Amino acid sequence: MAIKKIAFVVDKLPYKTETSRLALTHAISSQTVEIHLEEDENITPVLAFVGEGVLNCIKDHKASDVYGITSLESHIKNALLTDIKVLICEEDVKRFGLTADSLIMDAEELGADITSELVPFDTIMEEMNTADHILYF
Amino acid sequence: MSKLTIGCFSSLVGSMTTDFVVKLAEAARKKGHDVDIWLSGNGTMLSKKGQRSFKDYSSLEKTIKELVAGGINVTACEACAEARGYHKEDLIDGFGRKSMDWYLASCFSADRVLHIGGE
Amino acid sequence: MKLGVFVSQYSRENDTLSRLKAEKLGVILVQNGVYNAALKEDGKSSPILDKGTTVYALSEDLQTRGLSVDSVDSKVKVVDYDGLVDLIFNEYEKIIWL
Repeated sequence: MAIKKIAFVVDKLPYKTETSRLALTHAISSQTVEIHLEEDENITPVLAFVGEGVLNCIKDHKASDVYGITSLESHIKNALLTDIKVLICEEDVKRFGLTADSLIMDAEELGADITSELVPFDTIMEEMNTADHILYF
Repeated sequence: MSKLTIGCFSSLVGSMTTDFVVKLAEAARKKGHDVDIWLSGNGTMLSKKGQRSFKDYSSLEKTIKELVAGGINVTACEACAEARGYHKEDLIDGFGRKSMDWYLASCFSADRVLHIGGE
Repeated sequence: MKLGVFVSQYSRENDTLSRLKAEKLGVILVQNGVYNAALKEDGKSSPILDKGTTVYALSEDLQTRGLSVDSVDSKVKVVDYDGLVDLIFNEYEKIIWL
């Protein structure tokens, strides 16, 4: 079975521009990519937040209440719900004075089985290394 | 022959990134490579017909139509286009409009992917 | 991994670039990134040129900005669009754009 891994790496801040949003929506679109592929083909997405991109992962977004727009938080939770591996760079989280408690680490309320993972940058680099392609948002 | 997929998320007017994409695609095609271009976000505007040409702004409609006639595939994100108020009938003839999963499928079969994110 | 990194902005410090690790890493300066190839601030070349990687700059983007090929640092190889295509297919397996 031909499976290709695509690493979606996000280092942009949310909301001012749509870049990180498009990273999420494109990663989640991997759920339906099979319609364009042969029977034994598929894509495994990996989503990684690095640099300022980790700030997308701060929880309790109120974008829906304030601007009436889907929050990045809901997209990250949907990514977890669809079993997309979500990695957050722990060096950057530490640099910004954040901890796991302040980040979107799970989507239990939606029924997601997996959680976000705080990992060293080297782990993210290894995901990039083993990916077939890297989409750097 | 190898395949290059280029994802372009930058705007046509107000950015030179689409100019870069078109020149790179042209050079790759001349060397015999297959090229897919995925336009998303503000990049979708490159696929809209009827744009008036000004010397002060990037004007690529003529060039990219020639590239499509020469075998390059240009496909725009349908939702991004609709959100910007341009519809299927506004699309340049020969261009595609698809959902985001098309881009991933293009990446699947590509030998190289150059993803150019937005601003 | 053989990783080609397109740098499209002028920034003497590039956090992302400094963190990337690959067995073969190349930097390709395009758009405003080409200023890194030619400008010397206070007489010093851009630190991006001292990463120990091969650095390329796009000739068309140099010329567009009034930068002559002669003004480019000796560490930088100047390529045109045809050369970029060859770099993408022959020198690197994966490419990212910063």
